[in-house]
Amino acid sequence: MARAGTLARLRYRFIPDHVIGEILSKKWIDNAIPFLVLVVVIAAFGMLLPNFFSAGNLSMTGRQLGEFALVCLAMMTVIIVGGIDLSVGSNFALGNFTALALLNLAGWPVWAAIPATVLVCGSVGLVNGLLIGFLRLRAFLTTLVTLIIVRAIVDMLLLKYAQAMSMSFFDDPFWDLVGMGDVLGLPFSFAVLVVVALVGHILITRSRPGWRAMAIGGSRRSAHNIGLPVRGIVCSAYTISGMLCGLAGVLYAARLSGAGSDTGMGLEIMALTAAVLGGNSLGGGRGSVVKALIGAVIVLVMTNGVLRLGLNSGSGPMVLGLTLLFAVFIDVRWLKNRDKLLNKVYVSPTLVEMPEPRSTSEGAFAVNDRLADVEIIGLGEIESPEDVILDEDDILYTGTRHGDIVRFFPPDYKRHEVFAHVGGSPLGMSFDRDKNLVVCIGGMGLYKVAPDGTVSKMTDETNRSPLSVVDDSRLRLADDCDITPDGKVYFSEATVRYEMHDWPVDALESRGNGRIICHDPATGKTHTVVRKLVFPNGVCTARDGQSVLFAESWGCRINRLWVSGPKAGKVEVVVDRLPGYPDNINRASDGTYWCAIMGMRSPALDVALRMPGFRRRMSRRIAPDQWLYPNLNIGCVIRFNDQGEVLESLWDRGAKNHPMITSMREHKGWLYLGGITNNRIGRVRLKDADPTWSAWSDYWGKRA
Amino acid sequence: MMGALRTLSDRLLGRGSAALTVPPLDGALKPNNRLEDAAPGIPAGAPRALVVQGGRVLWAEGTQVMSDSGPVAETAGMITALAVMPDGQLAIAAEGQGIAIGGTVPPALAGLSCVTALACDASGALWIAVGSTVHPFADWSRDFLELRRSGRVLRWTPGSAPRVMADRLGFPNGLLPRADGMVVSEAWAKRLIRLDDSGRLTQLMEDLPGYPAGLAPSAGGGAWLALFAPRSPLLELVLREPAYRRAMMAEVDPEFWIAPALRSGYSFHEPMQGGALKSMGILKPWAPTRSSGLVVELDAGFVPLQSLHSRAGGQRHGITSVLETGGVLWAASTGGNEVLRLDPARGRG
Repeated sequence: MARAGTLARLRYRFIPDHVIGEILSKKWIDNAIPFLVLVVVIAAFGMLLPNFFSAGNLSMTGRQLGEFALVCLAMMTVIIVGGIDLSVGSNFALGNFTALALLNLAGWPVWAAIPATVLVCGSVGLVNGLLIGFLRLRAFLTTLVTLIIVRAIVDMLLLKYAQAMSMSFFDDPFWDLVGMGDVLGLPFSFAVLVVVALVGHILITRSRPGWRAMAIGGSRRSAHNIGLPVRGIVCSAYTISGMLCGLAGVLYAARLSGAGSDTGMGLEIMALTAAVLGGNSLGGGRGSVVKALIGAVIVLVMTNGVLRLGLNSGSGPMVLGLTLLFAVFIDVRWLKNRDKLLNKVYVSPTLVEMPEPRSTSEGAFAVNDRLADVEIIGLGEIESPEDVILDEDDILYTGTRHGDIVRFFPPDYKRHEVFAHVGGSPLGMSFDRDKNLVVCIGGMGLYKVAPDGTVSKMTDETNRSPLSVVDDSRLRLADDCDITPDGKVYFSEATVRYEMHDWPVDALESRGNGRIICHDPATGKTHTVVRKLVFPNGVCTARDGQSVLFAESWGCRINRLWVSGPKAGKVEVVVDRLPGYPDNINRASDGTYWCAIMGMRSPALDVALRMPGFRRRMSRRIAPDQWLYPNLNIGCVIRFNDQGEVLESLWDRGAKNHPMITSMREHKGWLYLGGITNNRIGRVRLKDADPTWSAWSDYWGKRA
Repeated sequence: MMGALRTLSDRLLGRGSAALTVPPLDGALKPNNRLEDAAPGIPAGAPRALVVQGGRVLWAEGTQVMSDSGPVAETAGMITALAVMPDGQLAIAAEGQGIAIGGTVPPALAGLSCVTALACDASGALWIAVGSTVHPFADWSRDFLELRRSGRVLRWTPGSAPRVMADRLGFPNGLLPRADGMVVSEAWAKRLIRLDDSGRLTQLMEDLPGYPAGLAPSAGGGAWLALFAPRSPLLELVLREPAYRRAMMAEVDPEFWIAPALRSGYSFHEPMQGGALKSMGILKPWAPTRSSGLVVELDAGFVPLQSLHSRAGGQRHGITSVLETGGVLWAASTGGNEVLRLDPARGRG
């Protein structure tokens, strides 16, 4: 068979194409464009302005940022729930005035004045919240009204008290610290911002109120329908917004100690620009503290920069306006095209050079009709019996695609009942020492069904790999399991990149996306043992009790993983160059092993596996129904021994009853067959097999 | 320049000429099971080239000319086309043998290879469709995958050299004489064209949903058209992948290529497409398939009137030749190894 070029081999070995798609599927990638803008803006003004990176300028900017970013956070909080708060500017001015009035005129101490100011501004937010949340007024109009009224109140108060305020001067070391001082080398207001941002980030991303606010912003009606207290949460978002404005007002007051009628003028537009520029969606439901902060830095650096460049007075707002337009445009395009882009780049086939397959025209793999006169069980009564297993009382258990574990009763296996309902897609099964049925559930994890039918979860997660971009701690496609003598459950997860029903896409990629995981019921701990396996599928504890055999389907080989003894942790190939794709592996009565071959390799596909570019274009250009697949319409069952010799094969040549065989189980002289795309179970008499042999006794000793 | 840019952007985005869409089977071409449900026909080994001679239907099977009562004639090479001359003599095109008329090979026709169809026009001249001047007939799928356009149509009158009526055609595969010229089915171009006596080419049908083969006159004054294999997006994709095609042709047995096929589903070495995965014991009849059976009746203006199908998983695949005579529609299922006798009137509205 021809080989791929060295260059192509190196390219697919060292350039991880699949990571691009994985990064694009992350939520935080939304921040990529705002962050890029941020870097560009800082770089541009850093070059244009002398002293931009000087300590003095940074400290000054840090102080301003502390105030401004708090206002942006206030705006972000209401934007997240799908609203808008135009009153932040006037509220900020009110906070500034209140703080100064309480300290300078009323003579309150600082510790009382600051909370009082925050509360006053919070009450303005509360009014907004009550009107918008409970009375269902329009956010835009309501906050516009508050903007005007609060501004008017501040102007009236200023008219009355401005002179008195400017006459007195408040002196307090803590107040000076707030205005001028540093905490841990950071300007005080910046330190406050850091604390608020951290708390806010945790609240939004990791707390119930935060998630609820997101849900309401995403779809207010759905949030209401699932029973969230929509009104209360909307109201509290506006209240928090008001309080943040108050805090910003206090910091401003401490820094400048002056109240003028232009305080906070136009601040709502700047805050809105910052929030949207950072990537917070005006529609609600999409936003974060980080986005607000990125936006705040961009806007502040730009407005200050334009000012310092000495451009004429209109140019500042002009730059801001254009930036806002640009941000909204990018936001809309990004939202619209992100999934399209992701769809285009997520699938990334890799280069696979398949070894020449063993012959199917002669030898152990010679096609025959030994499965032709199979006895059919449950035809049309079950769908997708991926695995079959029998207990000591000859009862036959199988999973179905409806998430049931169904069992058929001997002697004729005509009668059946639903043994347990787990959900998901039950796949590989095993009995443990206590006759509990351990089941891999595609889409859910590893579950246990007790003899009385009660279902309990064994594990649905494993340790997260440090370098994996996709979160691989959750189990997506637990496929087959077996139990070692010490009670540990070894199971395969076929792929971490796709959900169960997207397995053909994983076949198209043929990358090592899967792994073998070990769960120890004694400690409840789960950890990944081997990574980067090509669709690991069947798992079977070897006779020596020290190793586990597992199949790599798209790799067309069967491996051995040593789990104890001197070679513990090592993986070695047992059978390779299979002409088909191996699935479940189980023990045979004579000390050998059965392996289901779910489908056969076609030479045209083997060539395509060497050409990732061709497969990538195929995945993009034509519908999955038209893709070149592994030929899964015919398979066979093989028997092999510990040395890796294939001893025999059993075929259903015409594939009438068993087109895709995914499992087989020997029990008391019969071989039972299951297939994930099938609607029947088959059993065929084995001539030379021990008619008393059962798997459970073989694993756990004779019947107690 | 703009054209080159357009081609480039099309290829990048899969639009325009790079689009891989195939026409749907719609209207008169709506799928049915009429071929599959038809009464058992005459068992035959890869039959092709149906003709009627003196009221008796003949076809080619390997090196033999057959009728329903047994072999009629035999040649040394594989017979690829038959025709009845105006004087009633049988013209037999066989690989390596040229074209024999009434048992003798005129020297002018001795060197011809890959003759896919023969027909006589009203003036008595013999039209010869040569599928490929590069490959022998048996290598037609290689001709397809190499995107060859080396076919030609010749016109021969006894005692002269054949005249080339059209060349650089994509595997002309069927001939039908009409008053205004010869209708030719051009397989790789998926179209029907008409050549008049001066060799002027008119396109009659384009973008057919399958690869056309034999043509025959219908009793209604129109035509019968056999489409020997369906088109599919995967084929269209492979045709645009030169590196893959080269590697596949070099390494894979020709019968397991991704190429149109006369039959499928008999070996697990064949390429399988996703939709053809059997589920719950059933292969969907609309599954993507390498082969199918399709016969279409066209009216005098080459608008489809009715169609007969054998779909995915069926047996009567690879219809290469059709013939209507005496109220019976004969169809040679080369892939299904059967000569079918069908009722042509059932689908006429």
